[in-house]
Amino acid sequence: MKMKKILAVMLAMLMLVTCFAACGKKQDADADSPSKTETKKKFVMGVDPEYPPFSYLGDDGKYTGFDVEICRAACEYLGWDFEVFAVNWDNKLIQLDSKECDCVWSGMTILPSMKEAGYIISKPYFDNKQVLLVKENSGFNASKDLAGKDVAVQSGTSGEHLLQEDLKSLADSFKNVVACDSFLKCFTELEGNAVDAVFVDEPVAVSYVAKNSGYKIIDENLGAEQYGIAFRSGDQELCNEIEKAVAHLVESGKYAEIAEKYPDINKDNLTFLK
Amino acid sequence: MNILNMSNIQKSFGDNNVLKDISIKVDKGEVVSVIGPSGSGKSTLLRCATLLETIDGGSFSYMGEEVCSVKNGKVVYDKNLNKFRHYFGLVFQNFNLFPHWSVLKNVIDAPISVQHRDKNEVKAEAVELLKKMGLEDKVKAYPGELSGGQQQRLSIVRALAMKPEILFFDEPTSALDPELTGEVLKVIKQLAEENMTMVIVTHEMEFARAVSDRVIFMDGGIIVEEGAPNEVFANTKNERTKQFLQNYSKNEY
Amino acid sequence: MDFWIMIEKMLEGFEKTCAIFFLTLLFSLPLGMIITLLSKSKLKIVSGITRFVISVLRGTPLMLQLIAVTYGPYYLFHISVSREKLIPVVIAFSINYAAYFAEIYRSGIESMPVGQYEAAAVLGYSKPKTFMKIILPQVIRRILPSATNEIVTLVKDTSLAFTVSYQEMFTIGKQIANSQTSFVPFVVAGIFYYVFNALVSFIMRRVEKSMSYYKM
Repeated sequence: MKMKKILAVMLAMLMLVTCFAACGKKQDADADSPSKTETKKKFVMGVDPEYPPFSYLGDDGKYTGFDVEICRAACEYLGWDFEVFAVNWDNKLIQLDSKECDCVWSGMTILPSMKEAGYIISKPYFDNKQVLLVKENSGFNASKDLAGKDVAVQSGTSGEHLLQEDLKSLADSFKNVVACDSFLKCFTELEGNAVDAVFVDEPVAVSYVAKNSGYKIIDENLGAEQYGIAFRSGDQELCNEIEKAVAHLVESGKYAEIAEKYPDINKDNLTFLK
Repeated sequence: MNILNMSNIQKSFGDNNVLKDISIKVDKGEVVSVIGPSGSGKSTLLRCATLLETIDGGSFSYMGEEVCSVKNGKVVYDKNLNKFRHYFGLVFQNFNLFPHWSVLKNVIDAPISVQHRDKNEVKAEAVELLKKMGLEDKVKAYPGELSGGQQQRLSIVRALAMKPEILFFDEPTSALDPELTGEVLKVIKQLAEENMTMVIVTHEMEFARAVSDRVIFMDGGIIVEEGAPNEVFANTKNERTKQFLQNYSKNEY
Repeated sequence: MDFWIMIEKMLEGFEKTCAIFFLTLLFSLPLGMIITLLSKSKLKIVSGITRFVISVLRGTPLMLQLIAVTYGPYYLFHISVSREKLIPVVIAFSINYAAYFAEIYRSGIESMPVGQYEAAAVLGYSKPKTFMKIILPQVIRRILPSATNEIVTLVKDTSLAFTVSYQEMFTIGKQIANSQTSFVPFVVAGIFYYVFNALVSFIMRRVEKSMSYYKM
């Protein structure tokens, strides 16, 4: 009986401590984000935190990446506070709608459906294409070699979208299209020979080949597309201001300076540096 | 004054008329045994008397206070049934002790938390009763640690601690191993000697004959015969009673 | 990334995992009891609605409920989403787990022998007293093993909070894994969950033991 009481008291205390900790945290968080978008004091950038080299968790445990650094520099120029908000990529537009962030800016492919749905989309800043990543010794040299093979793609990405629409005939030539919820899982499937190729954005593939040996890229200029920034409908003015700030960064050379830090991003594909 | 007065009790479950017009009076200090074949309605009668079932017709009272009465052909129960619960106690066939409470707590909790009696006084009485029933060294034990006979004696103590005017027993030895029935019957006999008013539903014919002032034989939801033990057991004129007792003694061997 | 930075980040996430876990238990355990009592209500409309709600909560994925609780208010009433995600997360988890606990309570209550109620009635205990003093303590002992199961599941289910970008341990582990192209964070997360669950199981076993002082 005594043991029971002691345990009950311990449990209750543990719960209380957690509650207080949680409440304390909450106040901190509120203090960090006092302003709303209307005051234009704070700009919350919505990113996929798992999308190197555009946006990812850096070695120091803080969010970084090409998009993140450009946005930070733009906010500095505008005199705004800057904050990164990690979205769940599958729900990114819901999270933008519900004002958890002010934009989605994270290697995001511009889709016609976004404009149709009323989102404000910035000028494109990156020309992307999809490539096929295969093992070096696999003997695959062109997309037609993959007929009857298994190909992995990250779900929710434009790559998956392309395979369902514009590149449907290519997808149909594959045996299976395996959707994985992150590209790391796609690559792991490839490494473990569960699939024969990964259909992925070029910069991601370049970055992976640079870090891991034994892989090569089949580049057939598949699915040319462009990256842009998405804002809520009605935020045209906000979009203009950000675009103006980015234009300033390009002029001042800061843009190119940041791009230099990311060798995985092909400079020829950065629209503003052409 | 009758402690219990039941008149024209009717009870049915669906189409099954379990009790058809039963009337019983129990005087103070009287020990009444109810015998009869399975399904004759004995247990249902006790369950109606102890308010575990509601009756469909008739009326009954404790100590002259009406529990229910018939108004416009309908049985209407008193709004405050709790006061009647202080008049009776019930000893179940399966004991129904509270397994998570110690022996002592089983006995004292209801008098303290239901009857709001003084804790120390109740405790002292409980210890005294447990001693009388030979359970003094089990005060701190839990019901699950007791033998069947001890459990049934404990449930008798639990009922007695409420100081009831009348105690009902629903086949108190039916769930016990044969070698354990004796200790429980002995305790009931002891209570009879102390003039406790009791109604005992039982299959122990020898015991019923020895302990009771009056025997009621029920069959098919009616009282077939009622009388002193010797009349019923030895000199019954009734054919059904005779047949039941004969069958019964046949089954025993 | 330095190993210790990774551990530090994941510990930050673990704090939030613990917050979901304890707050969900704190709210869902009593809420489950209320739901059980409502589902056993004599008013047909009350019990009918309650049972329907239970079946919806048990019959749809928790992930969907998380999204509904977090973003539903915005889409329905244009109430902007709280930046403190802990609130919708704990609400969604609490009602979902309350439905499961309610079913556990119900099975426990229904497994009680009717004789316990009858003995209490004859002794004059009121209905609430019977429930609190006689039925509930025995029900708790009966349901502890299945409740432990549910609690262990809750530890693992906390990872579903990533659906609404609540930065609990698994979300952070996933981010590190994908940013650094490394599986180490998943291994670390697995160890964290395992140790946490081992602790929960240990505590629950002690509680079970402390309650098994009597035979049923």
